[in-house]
Order: sequence, then structure tokens, then C-alpha cells
Amino acid sequence: MAVVMRNQEISPDIFHLVVGGISGGKCGQFYMLKPNDTLDPLLGRPISILDCDDEHNTTSFLYQVVGKGTDLLSRLRTGDYLAVTGPFGNGFPALDADVTLIGGGIGIAPLYYYAREQKRLFPNRKLNIHLGFREESYFTEEFQELADEFSVNIGGFVTDDVNFDRQAIYVTCGPGPMMQAVAKLCREHGKELYVSMEARMACGVGACLACTCKTAKGNKRVCKDGPVFKGEEIYE
Amino acid sequence: MSNCLETNLLGVTLKNPVIAASGTFGFGAEYAPLMDVSRLGGISGKGLTLNGSQGNTGIRVWETPAGILNSIGLENPGVRHFVEEEYAVMRQTGCAVIANLGGHSENDYVEGAQLLNQVDLDILELNISCPNVKEGGMAFGMTPETAAHIVRLVKEVTRHPLLVKLSPNAFDLVAVAKACQEAGADGLSLVNTFLGMAVDVKRRKLVFDNGYAGLSGPAIRPIALRMVHQVCKAVTIPVVGLGGIATTEDALSFLMAGATAIQVGTATFGDPSAMLRIIDGLEQYCAEQNLANISEIRGIV
Repeated sequence: MAVVMRNQEISPDIFHLVVGGISGGKCGQFYMLKPNDTLDPLLGRPISILDCDDEHNTTSFLYQVVGKGTDLLSRLRTGDYLAVTGPFGNGFPALDADVTLIGGGIGIAPLYYYAREQKRLFPNRKLNIHLGFREESYFTEEFQELADEFSVNIGGFVTDDVNFDRQAIYVTCGPGPMMQAVAKLCREHGKELYVSMEARMACGVGACLACTCKTAKGNKRVCKDGPVFKGEEIYE
Repeated sequence: MSNCLETNLLGVTLKNPVIAASGTFGFGAEYAPLMDVSRLGGISGKGLTLNGSQGNTGIRVWETPAGILNSIGLENPGVRHFVEEEYAVMRQTGCAVIANLGGHSENDYVEGAQLLNQVDLDILELNISCPNVKEGGMAFGMTPETAAHIVRLVKEVTRHPLLVKLSPNAFDLVAVAKACQEAGADGLSLVNTFLGMAVDVKRRKLVFDNGYAGLSGPAIRPIALRMVHQVCKAVTIPVVGLGGIATTEDALSFLMAGATAIQVGTATFGDPSAMLRIIDGLEQYCAEQNLANISEIRGIV
């Protein structure tokens, strides 16, 4: 059992959750968080790791309230317990290269831990971060501290802010249409791309095949084979 | 007391009567990092079809109160692939290995069953009840005549004990159960999912590309229990009960209703340790009730 240390609304329907008692997850992985021990809802919710502190045995998350499960999650108070399983998924690759991160909305969450890890492992490599939001930005200062180049776009297209001519590897997470646009631009500019996918899941471990996505190499399980894929596997 | 849960199912000795239900446990390896899979009585693998399938498009799972609608559509690697790869993985778990075979035609079932003779399964579970594939297994499980026909054909070719998995959507489930018994089924498992649907009101559309989907989870449990009870009263072959089982008490209900063993599916998604808790709970129940074997409560209600 894990315990809630903080669960605060930092923007409308966006919550910053810090959970004590779990750590060790890699950037790009996720946990199944189940806020209730009743039968409705029945399933945990797959939520990406925002950050992880192995020393203090805490893991934090950023999530958006979109339905019943996340609504229940948002009602948890400090000191409440929640059922947690994970970490699951493959995670982001450590890249000894300049990296450009492109995040949209709640999709920024897994990119934060990744940005921190990239900066820790390869401090001399450039890290460019571009974030896009529909109406209101959040958690941007934390990203800015890590970035060599940084931009926030509200209400427009985040891709307008990105230089696709850099000698860099691109990594994106966000709404489907945004990632599709990023993939198209990367393809046109001959750039390597990694995408982190989202899907409805039941088991989280690769058993139920609910989260299957079509790829160039056949069906893949977002929870087990992903959530991080090469861009060209997902977007032809 | 260590053997109090030992259960004979179709001539196979299970460590306990708790089996992972088909479609919810992969081929046994997926949950290994989270739980001691070897403690299970058996594993029914992901439903196979002769040539494999990519499964359904669109949304595949949708939560409902205390339940899940699924429309996976039997995504699977095919029987041949199972024989060459996944069978060995399942065998390594140390649990009874049950292969679940579905089909789109008579020939699919017969050829699939013949191929499965190449491996030493403990039990072959015949899926004539998947609601998620057009012209799929469920069509065969809807009437006593079609069910018996398929069971007879498969029984003729298989060398494995044959467990036939029934659909609660059948017009007359008890009649289908009796027909399967007469056609040579060694046992029955029930119930598969109930046909349901969901509407995405915001988009004014059906949630599932396939229209209807299969409902599982505690929401269906009382109906599944009633059906297991009715079938157990009507047949003499062993029945494996399933449908929304999530706790020890649920498992005991199905056993008391007449089931020889039980399967757990959806509950594992929310709590990967659900089956282990049930096994522990059944052991404790035997100790408290001074039962030499759990079978002493079989069919007592």
C-alpha cells in the first residue's frame, strides 16, 4: 500500500500527486493507481511517472481529471492509502545526444522525469523543451530549470515553436493529432523520433490486449511493448 | 491440511480449484513479475484461433459499474504459434495447462484441435461462446444442435480432456449444456461474457466498432451463479464456474452451487493478487470448517 503525501490541484482539473512508499520506476514508465477498494470503478488508472525520488521512496504524478477513476483519485487527501501496482512499460531510452522534447497538455508529465534523467546523465548535451497547452499552462517552471531552450505555447500549435533542423533526437508525448504533426515534421526533416502513447488499459502487464495499437511491426501492447515507441513504428 | 484444495478435474490433478480465466492472463508469463503464478491450480491461455487474429479495431475495453465491457476480438498468435512458442511458457509455470480454442468455422475447430494434439495439454477448453467475433464461436454455442455438432467433431479428433465453455447468451443454456454432455464433452465451463453495449453520449456513437461487447466482472456474478447452479443440477459431468468471482466468498458460492473448480478473470485486472487471496481463503475455510477436502462442500446448495 502506498500513501498520499500530497494531492493538489495546480490548474483546473490538473493534479500533482506525490505518493510515499513507491520508487524505483524508470522515466517513461507508469503505475496503475487505484483510489478505491470498492468494485466501481474496478480497474486502476495508468498514470505516467512525473518524477521519482529513490532516496525518500516517493513517486510523483501529474494527472488530469477526465472520468470517474481520476475524479476519485482527485479526492484523496494527504495520509490516504491507495493501491498501486507497477512500475510498468518500457520507458524512454537514455540518449547521448541533443534532445528536443515536445509535450502537449497532460502529456508533459512523463517528459519531466525524462528531462531530469537526460540532464543528469548527459549534462553537456543540449536539452530543448517545448510545451503546448490549450488554455492554461502548468508545471512549466520546473521544466524551464532543466532546459537550454524553452518555450510555452498556449492555444496555438506547439510545433510552430520547434526547430526541426537541429542535430537532435526528438521525443514527444501529448494528444494524438499533435504527435502525428510532430511525426510528420520529423519525417520531412529526417529526424529520429520517440513517441509515448496513451491507451485505455485493463491489466497493465500485457495480458488482456485491451491497449493494443497498430504499428509498422504489427500489433503492439502499449502497456508492455510501450508506452514508448519509435515514431516511425506508429506514424507511417 | 496441505492437500485440502487438491481437485480432480477431468482426470487432471489440480493443486487447487482456482484457474486463471482465458483472455485475462495471457499465456501465464505476463503476471509472473507481480505474483507467484505457480500457486494457481491452472491457467487457461488466451483464446486461440487456427490462423490467429489481429483482433478488433477501436476501443476494446470500457468500464461499467462493477464490470468491464470488452471487445478484444480474440487477438491471438494462432494455434501453430502456440504449439511452437507459448505452450512451453505455460508449461513452465507449474500449473495445469489449459488451451482455449475458438473458431470461425467447423474446419477451424477441427484443424485447431488436431494441431493441439502435438502438445501435452492438461485440458482443451473449447470456446463456443466468444461474443466479440462476427460469425465467431458464440454462434455455435447459441443452440443445443450447433453446440453438440461442434463438440462431437472436436471430441472425435482431440486426445485431450475436453472442457466446453458455454455462453450465457444461449437461448436455453441448460439445453445447450445437456447437448454438449451427450455429444461427449468431459466437462463444462461457464459463463463466458454477457453481450452488452455502451454508447458514447458525447460523440453520439456506439463505443465499440463491433457494436456489442462482452460484459464481465462482479456485475454479472449473481446471474452467472444462478446459471452454474442450474447447469450443475442438469448434467453429471464436472462444471467449472466463472463470472465475476473476486473473493473467497464468491469462490465458495460457486463451489457450493456445484462447481468442481472456478475461474477468475476480470478481478485480476484490478487486483493481481486476487486469485492468491482466494486460494489462501479457501485453505483457511477448510481449516476452520474441518474439511479434509474442499470438494465436501460441492453442490450442497
